[in-house]
Amino acid sequence: MNGLERELRALGTLVDWPDAPDVAPVVVERLAAPRPRRRPSRRLGLALVAVLLALAVALAVPPARTAILDWLGIGSARIVHVDDLPSLPLTASAQLLGEKTTLADARRRAGFPVAAPPRGEPGPDQIRVVDGLRVSYVWRNGDRIRLLVTQVPGLLQRGEILRKLIPPYVKIERLTIDGEGAVFLSGGPHAVFLLDPHGSFREDRGWLAGSTLLVDRGGSTLRIEGAIDRDQAVELARSMT
Amino acid sequence: MHQAIAFRVALVVAGDRGDAEEAVQDGFVKAYRALDRFRERAPFRPWLLRIVANEARNRRRSAGRRAGLVLRAAEAAASGDAASSPEAAALSHARRAELLAALGSLDERDREVLVHRFLLALGEEETAAALGIRRGTVKSRTSRALERLRTALGEETR
Repeated sequence: MNGLERELRALGTLVDWPDAPDVAPVVVERLAAPRPRRRPSRRLGLALVAVLLALAVALAVPPARTAILDWLGIGSARIVHVDDLPSLPLTASAQLLGEKTTLADARRRAGFPVAAPPRGEPGPDQIRVVDGLRVSYVWRNGDRIRLLVTQVPGLLQRGEILRKLIPPYVKIERLTIDGEGAVFLSGGPHAVFLLDPHGSFREDRGWLAGSTLLVDRGGSTLRIEGAIDRDQAVELARSMT
Repeated sequence: MHQAIAFRVALVVAGDRGDAEEAVQDGFVKAYRALDRFRERAPFRPWLLRIVANEARNRRRSAGRRAGLVLRAAEAAASGDAASSPEAAALSHARRAELLAALGSLDERDREVLVHRFLLALGEEETAAALGIRRGTVKSRTSRALERLRTALGEETR
């Protein structure tokens, strides 16, 4: 590059570019809006059939689809829109959530700031950790997980840690909780994948989640999943410091 | 990531903030819906910028507006002291004003190729996509525009 080209580049760094507006919520809304020719109820039905019969739907997310929705995320969670969900179990496996341990030990092994379990709630039935990747609080109801709170490192520490595949019928609400960006997903199951210790997402190792709140806490990303509504989820997030 | 550069390109092309924002929105929605037609091996960003820039150009045409917003933004910034890079700090205020005046004196096609290539720091392929021209045209237009800029600055052409 010659002198004049360098000067023009330098001039470019002086331009006071207006901040790019966050068009994500509008784009998501428009993409999620039902296409006129198909009825949402039918699509929901088809999606449930797909889930119940565990049809082997290939988890084919083209790279471009991932790329364009890079910015449709919150903290270290990325949200990818898909037409169909892959066949996956309905709860997170113990293996994915890691070893059972104590809060003090989980905090030591996490390597990122970990908030204590929600105040004013009975303590979790289990605390599980995957070194350097996640700490989960698990409340059980028999064999089922009733409430699952998972914390993972924030975007700046580790990049993408959580990946969610969102079919069209899932409602995405953007919220702010005490100044922190958050997203509440509801309306039907979506698929969740967690980064494995080797740094990749295994397509057969996710699960199908119900309503979920994601909160970007800077140093960590908080995820709350359970049969809860938005306000209850926000309340739980607020009580975790 | 893509949103920031797409917005800047839309701003340069549309010359209006509101139009740029709409162009990015519509462009992203269209791009998403057209993903099936996207060749997976092709680089993604130029493809996205082409769609967004098209939206922006349509809006500028219907508004009958000339693009000049970026130069105005640069003028405002060039008079300030907050330099964002060592290279920018090395650029004296007098030199900034000269460069801006010279850029302003070029015809629009020359100016827009220089703005995309250097002020926006886009590659040749991305510039071609944003301007809706061929890569070879970007090359030849860039070198011609640089010559004209030198002439406008009263500098010797090599």
